[in-house]
Amino acid sequence: MEITKVLPDDCISLIISLTSPRDACRLALLSHAFNSIADSNAVWQMFLPLDYIHIISNSSSPPSLLSLPKKDLYSTLCYHPILTHNGDMKFQLEKESGKKWYMVGARALSIQWVDTPRHWTWISLPDSRFCRVAKLKNVGRLEIKGKVKLNTLSSNTNYEAYFVFKLVRDRYGFRHTPVELDVSIEGTAAGEVRSVILDPPRNMPQQAKERVDGWLEIEMGEFFNGFENDRTVEFSLREDHDDQPKRGLIVQGIELRPKHKNNR
Amino acid sequence: MSEVDMAVIKPEMMKSYIWLQTADGSIQQVEQEVAMFCPMICHEVIQKGMGSSKNYAISLPQRVNPAMLSLILDYCRFHQVPGRSNKERKSFDEKFIRMDTKRLCELTSAADSLQLKPLVDLTSRALARIIEGKSPEEIREIFHLPDDLTEEEKLEPLKNTTDDPRIRLLNRLYAKKRKELKERQKLKNIEVEEERVDDRSVDDLLSFINGDNGDSKGIKNSKSKKKNRRRKDQQKNTSANEAIKNHNKEPNGLNQVCCSAEVGQTVRAGVGATSNLHDVEDDIFDNKNELDDGDIDDEIDPALKEKIDREVEDFARRLNSDWPERMQEILSFGHERKPVHFSLNGNDSLRRYANSEQR
Repeated sequence: MEITKVLPDDCISLIISLTSPRDACRLALLSHAFNSIADSNAVWQMFLPLDYIHIISNSSSPPSLLSLPKKDLYSTLCYHPILTHNGDMKFQLEKESGKKWYMVGARALSIQWVDTPRHWTWISLPDSRFCRVAKLKNVGRLEIKGKVKLNTLSSNTNYEAYFVFKLVRDRYGFRHTPVELDVSIEGTAAGEVRSVILDPPRNMPQQAKERVDGWLEIEMGEFFNGFENDRTVEFSLREDHDDQPKRGLIVQGIELRPKHKNNR
Repeated sequence: MSEVDMAVIKPEMMKSYIWLQTADGSIQQVEQEVAMFCPMICHEVIQKGMGSSKNYAISLPQRVNPAMLSLILDYCRFHQVPGRSNKERKSFDEKFIRMDTKRLCELTSAADSLQLKPLVDLTSRALARIIEGKSPEEIREIFHLPDDLTEEEKLEPLKNTTDDPRIRLLNRLYAKKRKELKERQKLKNIEVEEERVDDRSVDDLLSFINGDNGDSKGIKNSKSKKKNRRRKDQQKNTSANEAIKNHNKEPNGLNQVCCSAEVGQTVRAGVGATSNLHDVEDDIFDNKNELDDGDIDDEIDPALKEKIDREVEDFARRLNSDWPERMQEILSFGHERKPVHFSLNGNDSLRRYANSEQR
């Protein structure tokens, strides 16, 4: 029995679309028949988010993106993030699962005193996709908050939230004082608050990790986005105990990354 | 019939039946509520008035043979009962799809022709579960598929979409490199043989000595290829070959861009810069894959070789000017598993160490 003689193409399409993007790429190597089906729009459309047209139409990307073959579009969205929500958020796809992966830019966060020039300033850095990132000049009390509607994200998915930042040479206030990180879904019990030092001295373990784009990231927490989606998830970073001056932190944003099911 | 007989007529006799005919000519009658669960049958009854008697039996599509019809009717008979809970239905479904792969395919096909979507979804999911995570070789075995793509076609993931002339040239480059690899392989196999003997078990040695071809040959090829990988550190050309070979077996879409980058890097290395060798090897050894023991067929007509060589040099020059930044970006996203860095020891053999960070 040769499967392509038993099953019509659209059944095979359906079956492939129920596997994963990686499997679909492998299946394209099987035989001539599978090659065209596994690369087809019918299959790859199923790997894109349901509202991909809406996301792209409301982004800063050219609408010609939508006329790409779906497999190419998937690929593009995995490797070339686009700016959405008026440039406030950065969007891409997690390539193994096709789930939505966002970064909330500094502009969309609520940073206390951010619009007061002697406390914070907006600068432009070439290694950030966003137009502007926020640079801390001086505060005694640090408070950065953000929130995202859960229906923006992929449902039935575990997400991890990361604070994405840099520290410049001329910095103080983060070496010995921990900041408190917190992620919680509005209306539910608060998650565990993590206490981390952003800038530990050399002999202490560094909790932040270096990213490929040259920034640092530190995990704030995790949450599960179920199926009922009208709620929002809230993030906060705070240091409001010691009232000591702080300086030299650059904030790119908070990244919401779909969690891998297995270690692929 | 007398009045008394009429009174004891069983209720079942008052049921209506639909008459169905399968492609092999056999006709059967099926309880109406069960048969009507299939949209295609429903349509025939309502729109065309068919199925009410043996002479007007509904002709079922060819893909529905009696065995499949029987299964489908079992499915319909269970699910058309309104009172069942979701748990019961799920439980039934799980038991129902326990059958061999061949039957699952036939059942999907039959259900599809009867437009019975819930069953199509059920069987398709089962087939998807069978497929996912398997290598192309394993899948071919399960579904008895011919391996009828040429190597070049397997390496042309973008062929259908952009028809970019650069990609076409890349593919010719791959083919050329593959040919070189094949030649080198032949030399290496002879060279490596002595050291390999130690790795094999006694049984392997015995069967090899006894002239048994099967397994020992397979082991030999895969081991020699593995050793070849480690030995080919010096040669930039061969690292590209590895990239191509490994790319053969990798999901073409997710790594296609990565591979283009590898070859581009290698070509650039050949023309001038040497620092990118390690980047290339990162991606090569990054990819976990099963090596195919089969021979690689070369598609390039010898008569075209000269033309291709010229094109390749030209292409290499153009790559250098256009693609450096793109390559970097592509490479940086190419890491999936633990990236492994290689460096050269004093004696020019490779040393591996794990990368401390990963994306």
